[in-house]
Amino acid sequence: MSERQRPGREQPRQHEQHEQHEQHEQHGNEDSAHVATTQTPLTGPGSAATSPVGNGAGTGTRFTRILGALTLVAMGVLALFALVISPPDVVQGETVRILYAHVGTVWVAYLAFVVTAVSSAAYLWKRTSSLTWDRIAGASAEIGVLFMAITLLTGSLWGRITWGTFWVWDARVTTTAFLFITYIGYLAVRGLGGTHQQRARRSAVVALLAVLEIPLVHFSVRIWRSVHQDASVATGNTDVKLDDTMLFTLLLATVAFSMLYVWYVLHRQRVLHLQDLLDDKGLDLALAERRSEGRPDASAAAPTTAASTPTATVSAASTVPTKDPVS
Amino acid sequence: MDHAGFIFASYIAAFGGSAALAWYVVRRGRALGRQLPDEDKPWI
Repeated sequence: MSERQRPGREQPRQHEQHEQHEQHEQHGNEDSAHVATTQTPLTGPGSAATSPVGNGAGTGTRFTRILGALTLVAMGVLALFALVISPPDVVQGETVRILYAHVGTVWVAYLAFVVTAVSSAAYLWKRTSSLTWDRIAGASAEIGVLFMAITLLTGSLWGRITWGTFWVWDARVTTTAFLFITYIGYLAVRGLGGTHQQRARRSAVVALLAVLEIPLVHFSVRIWRSVHQDASVATGNTDVKLDDTMLFTLLLATVAFSMLYVWYVLHRQRVLHLQDLLDDKGLDLALAERRSEGRPDASAAAPTTAASTPTATVSAASTVPTKDPVS
Repeated sequence: MDHAGFIFASYIAAFGGSAALAWYVVRRGRALGRQLPDEDKPWI
């Protein structure tokens, strides 16, 4: 998790370094032309791109490895129950097997979009404002979009068998597609550029607006006449008319996909953390190279007016002849 | 099994899509992790 959430586990130097990054992101980048989402390659002698600086460790930890192994096991058991053990439905027959994947993925998509909204609110709230929340929101939204796409695809395949067509302009299907497109727009907004803080602020506002669509999608089958079936389990009463094995498989699907979601978010928000750091370091490196290019010429031409800012350095360098005037 | 093609296509989409994203995320994390020192990885 973030440096602010686990300060006790860090070395003092690390903590100081991360604080500098946070301050740089919060203040320094506001005035710079830093494009946060552009992955600036670290080129140049001794840069990170040419020589690995870490020990090659990625985003995994002991916890994520254990969680990943458990998720794999859960997915295997789910496939076994969904495709082999659970009985066919009285009405739908074998087609019901598609719904175990469909319900599991739509559950994760809803969960991901709600987490995106909560994380965005946590970022906007001054007491908890941290770019870690923004990265969690971004990671969660990416995963939500993927699972929503899978939901639409599996629903479409189920619809082809049950309704005779891959797509109907039904209230539930249409609002779900609208929700999917909205979060693609959210990801596009995240990629607009600007500083990390600008990206976080604007995408947080979009996330808080987009999440309002979820109740509309969920209750669309009750608000409008719909060919999509209503809830089978979350009906509000305890009398669930579903075979025990089918109910177990359905719950197993939600648990297995939820575990997968947690694993994804942990890894993905760490990847975003690394990307942000590389953006910052790429900017610092570019500025340092620019300063080192301008400094000798500028000092030779006007040593008493040594430029202290990059802009002044560049302008001074541009007015100086390329040849040494003494020689 | 009736409609086996549709059923297996659904599970290939669900499991295959999940696996593809997992592979991408881990690979990207390793690639970026090589470019940064371990001090920049607070989870280690």
